[in-house]
This record gives sequence, C-alpha cells and structure tokens, in this order.
Amino acid sequence: MMDPQIERKLIEIMRVIHESDKPIGARAIADELNNRGYDIGERAVRYHLRILDERGFTRKHGYAGRTLTELGEREMSDALIADRFGFVISRIEEMAYRTTYNPETNDGVVPVNISYFDKDDLEAVIDVISYTAHKGYMISPRVRIIEEDEELVSLPPGKIGIATVCSVAFDGLLLKAGIPVEPAYGGIFQIENSKPGRFLDLISYSGTSIDPIQIFMSRRTTSVLEVLEKGEGRILANMRQINSSAYDRAMEVIKNAEKAGLAGCFPPGEVDETLYGAPVETGKFGISIVGGINGICALEETGIKIKTNPVSTVMEYKTMTEI
Amino acid sequence: MQKNGYRIQFTSSRIKDLMYRTTFDPKKMDGDIILNLSLIDKKDLDDVLGIFKMVISSGLSVTPYVKIISEGESLGDLTIEKGKVGIGTVCSITIDGVLLKAGIPVNPKLGGVVQIRNGIPVRFTDVLTYVSTTVDPLEILMSQGITSVSEMLRTGSGKVLANLREAPMIARDEIESCLSDLLDAGFSGIMEVGEPNTRVLDVPIERDHLGIVVIGGTNPMAVVQEYGIDIDTSAMSRLISFKEMSRIEDLV
Repeated sequence: MMDPQIERKLIEIMRVIHESDKPIGARAIADELNNRGYDIGERAVRYHLRILDERGFTRKHGYAGRTLTELGEREMSDALIADRFGFVISRIEEMAYRTTYNPETNDGVVPVNISYFDKDDLEAVIDVISYTAHKGYMISPRVRIIEEDEELVSLPPGKIGIATVCSVAFDGLLLKAGIPVEPAYGGIFQIENSKPGRFLDLISYSGTSIDPIQIFMSRRTTSVLEVLEKGEGRILANMRQINSSAYDRAMEVIKNAEKAGLAGCFPPGEVDETLYGAPVETGKFGISIVGGINGICALEETGIKIKTNPVSTVMEYKTMTEI
Repeated sequence: MQKNGYRIQFTSSRIKDLMYRTTFDPKKMDGDIILNLSLIDKKDLDDVLGIFKMVISSGLSVTPYVKIISEGESLGDLTIEKGKVGIGTVCSITIDGVLLKAGIPVNPKLGGVVQIRNGIPVRFTDVLTYVSTTVDPLEILMSQGITSVSEMLRTGSGKVLANLREAPMIARDEIESCLSDLLDAGFSGIMEVGEPNTRVLDVPIERDHLGIVVIGGTNPMAVVQEYGIDIDTSAMSRLISFKEMSRIEDLV
C-alpha cells in the first residue's frame, strides 16, 4: 500500500485538475494546493504527476498541462473514504456560504438543483413542477429553463435543463443573519390531510458518503403525486437544527423569505423537543423544510426520465421566473 | 400538530436489540441467528436459487446456509402471500451477537461497499454509519447501482457489500477465538481483521480498537438484483433458529 501522506497529495492534485475546466500545469496546481493549506512546491507536484501518469489517472497535453482520464475520475470518487464522510455536509456549507440573496432588495444568488430531461417532455415538466410548487411542496415556484450551454452549466446533448431552488437557500439566509444553522438529516416525510405528519425515514448528512436526498430519490420511496391529488403521501424533506437563543430571529428570517416567495418550511418544533419524530439536541430546536426537488420526484413518478444533480450551483434569483 | 411521543428509531439501536436477542452458540451449532429476508416471485425461485448457489460457493456470503419459506407458510408474524417465496440468509450482525455473548463490547459501525481487486479487498468506496440512518445501509447501497458483485464473481474484481465493527484491542485473543469457532461453524464471511489503532480498508478506527470487516449477508440478493430479477429485501429482519436453516448445496 502507498504511504497515506502521498496518497492524500495525489488525490488532492487530482481534485485540483478535476475542478479546472481546461488542462492545468504543475505551477498552477502548486499555487492552488498552497491556497488549500498544502505546503508543496512545483517540483514535488511534477513528481506526483508522474506517478499519476504511470497509474493512468492523468493525461498530459503537451505544455498546456494535464487532465484526468476516465480511470482518474473514478479513482477520485472511490479513494479516501475517511475524507468523504464529511463531503455531503461540506458541500451544503459551501452553497449556504455562497448564497447572497437578500429578500428585501431581491438581489443576489440562491443555490439551485439542475435537472436534465428530453426536449419533448418540456410541457409536462413545466406542468408538474408548477403544480408541485404552487401546492407548497417546493421551495419556490420560480425556475429557469436552460436551453443551451451557459457558464457553469453544460447540457448533455439533446437535453434541456431546469433549475429549481434548493432548500439550502434557507441555510444561506439563516447563516447570513448570523444564525449557526446545522443541516442534520434528509428524510422521507409523511403528509396527512395536506398537513405535515411525521418523518418515516432519516439519514444524517454527516454519516454518509452519498447524499441522503440522492439515496431517497433513487429508492423511489416518494409518492408526491398522491400528496398533490389526495393530500396523503410521502415527500422528501430536510431537517435542520438551530440553537434555542436564535428562535425569534430565525422565525423572522423565514417570514421575510416567505414574503419573497421562498417557502416550504413546516411549523418549527419547540426547543429540546423531537421534530416530527426526528431527534433534536438539547438546547436546540428543529425546523424541517420540504425538499427542493419534490417536483422532480413527482415527474419521475409519472415515468418521465429526468436526471438531477442536487445542490449543483448558485443562480441569480432575479433571473428565475415563476411558472 | 406533532405526534406526541413518536420518535424514529435508527438502525444502530435496532442492531443492538437484535445482537442482544441472538442466542447462537457456534460450538453447539444451535440457538437463534439473525435473518435477512427477501421476497421473490415464485416463478423466479429456480433462477434465484441458482444465483444464490453461485454467489455463496464463491464465498460472498456470511455462511452457506439459507432458509426458504414457501407461499402460505409463516415465520413469526409474517405469512408469505400467494405467488411469492421468502428466501433468507444469515445476517452478519449474528457475529456481533456471538462476540457480545462472549463478553466483548463490540460496536457495529457502518455498512459499505468494498472494492475487490483480483480477489483481494482493497478499500471501502462508499459507507453509511448505522447511527446516521433509519434504513439499513446495505439495503440503501444495493439500490444505488454502485455494487458490481456479479462482475466480481466473473472477473475477481468488483464492488461488494460489507460491514465494519469495532472492538477494544484488549479483547483481541478472545475475539480471535470466537471468530475461529464461528469459522468452524461455517461462518466463512470474515473478510478482514485489522491491527489495533490501524485503518481497516481505509476506514479510521477508534483509538485502542480494532476493526473487523464481514461480508454482507445480502450479497446474493444484490446479484439477483443486478440480474434484473425483482427482489424485495429487508436486511436484519428477524430472528430464527439456526436448526431451521439448510446448506445451499442440499437445496439445489
């Protein structure tokens, strides 16, 4: 087995190459690694790059630099499981931090999920998403249809994309109000008589290398269509914990967000009390928020093929329109 | 508004309950074990048994024992409905139960996918800890399309289901003797016993503990699923007397 220290550097170099949109050279890689707290010089990077080339993980493009091979991409997603435990939560934190939307001025960006589907399905997609959103089981009825490649979003051939607001928008708003909100669980939530019932299953964001929402989506355990039609069924929902002293301030933030059309928070729990069956730490209270992609789940239930990257990127909220 | 008193139960606490209730004694080959139970269509039984035999004879199961429950038959409060057959394998948590009964404070930690290269386990590539989920991790991982158990059987390389527990290093001798009793009783699915204070298949272990990796009892079910046959699995579903299990060779 390889020395874990070297292994870690190799993976970190691969991550830098992966995140670059064009071939990247040793010097630029070394600079980026220094930014990330790794004390490593250009020469050492070259040495590690040769190891990566030998293993078939990277490919050299003359002087332009290197890109990852398919094998390299796969290695990156398989290696260093210990680091990836926290991966899901780091991604949420990053998106919450990048959220700059201000409900009062209507300026700034919100985190979005981007889903791809066949052009022919556009009408059905708009119908179902609009229905789900207006029933209050999504974060916002505002979406953006993406018909050609844009900066940050590239479309698979023959497909179009739809951006829907992700529930992490609330984490962002709460965070910007100085509230230390913690994403605790993703789950399956039972709706009874069109009212919040209880959580049926939960997966914590911190104990997994796979996004809980992605897990529940691929298990196909939702019945969003039934919720829409009969008021009974299962939807995706998240649960967050907040320190008790921030209770009033958090309610204010949520209310302001609702005025700007960002909705989907169920009535909050009491301090120190379980929230719809989900555990809450002492000194905190829980809030649960509907999943931003319930509309997508509803579409999947109708049999339409749609692929989603949860918490994909951020988008100017103003550029999204109500459907 | 809220259901008063309703609290959701996480997998870790269900496991502790089952471990406590396990009474299997590897020396006597007697007592209750924990069963993973799947429901399949009756018409698929021959195919499924064929797959089970292939997977089990390649060593990708906890034991070579299975339990078949025909339509109309009952096991505890469960009756198999018409047109269906139940098929069960020994759950690896049975091993934790045996260790516990020997006085070893063992802690089942996570279920995951282990990458195998040329017959040798290399590392965990995806994991879910038991404390963080209400759905069994192996059930989840089976449904993510990230296992390649059949490929592993064909080529010797692939990704299989496994789980990891931690035990204090002070109990090392006792652990080894228990595991060797289990091996004699046909529990051949022990994949890796780590050194104290050392990562096991890339997963860090608590201080002064060692990690034990066991093959997931649901690997045969994962292959059935990879072959596109409908199968509905509940891992760690119930306890059953070991005497009711049969070796797969005696069935096919």
